[in-house]
Amino acid sequence: MTERKQREHREITEDTHMTDTNRDTDDTRVRLDRGSPPSTPRWVKVFGIIALGLILLVIILHLTGNSFGGPMGHGMQLP
Amino acid sequence: MTMTPRLRKFVLTAHVTFAVGWLGAVAGFLALAVAGLTSQDAQLVRAVYLAMALTARFVIVPLSFAPLLTGPVLSLGTPWGLFRHYWILVKLLITILSTIILLVHMQPISHLSRVAAEGTLSSTDLRLQIQMVVAAGAALLALLVATGLAVYKPRGMTPYGWRKQQEQQRALQRRVLQP
Repeated sequence: MTERKQREHREITEDTHMTDTNRDTDDTRVRLDRGSPPSTPRWVKVFGIIALGLILLVIILHLTGNSFGGPMGHGMQLP
Repeated sequence: MTMTPRLRKFVLTAHVTFAVGWLGAVAGFLALAVAGLTSQDAQLVRAVYLAMALTARFVIVPLSFAPLLTGPVLSLGTPWGLFRHYWILVKLLITILSTIILLVHMQPISHLSRVAAEGTLSSTDLRLQIQMVVAAGAALLALLVATGLAVYKPRGMTPYGWRKQQEQQRALQRRVLQP
């Protein structure tokens, strides 16, 4: 990569998302040497578990008729 | 495809404006929902639900769709990509889910606005009024999480991103080794 291209790449990654750290590239470079894809980070697993829990909660509330709008869909049966 | 720096700045400005505007509009919506639920003044409650319907239809819905357009354009037009980093993927999912939930709630919002305009808001609508507060609070939380992800960018590359990076590294090595 030429110096100009390197500078442009750095500019893009810095500009695009307001704040920049080079943690991602450093992190993945270390893992590249191992020759296998990086494992799913812990924060993604935590997010997934929370999302799954919320979805299950909403489904259970709807099925048991305890959701705010009731099982008929937000009381929209009203004229 | 990489965007030119000028275009990138423009799309980034639009994206931040829409996202921050959406957050602010939802915060205002939450304040109105709380006022509608707690106020004893019938006229105020009536005005609140009319304002909520207008805000939702003409501010929140357009502002929820705009980042769905600018976000992917920005990601795909830069080396970040749309599916390469978990934080971008999670942020996209939050935006999509928030928009869907907002659209689902447009009917109850219209219903509340209608009964408020007719002056027939009764205790049977209490559940719906509470739902507005809960939904607006949850939306605000989700948007704050999305903003946090954009600023902190927690590390983690998807398997797809990792493969792409490897391909790029190999291509770079080949170019360097070639005379």
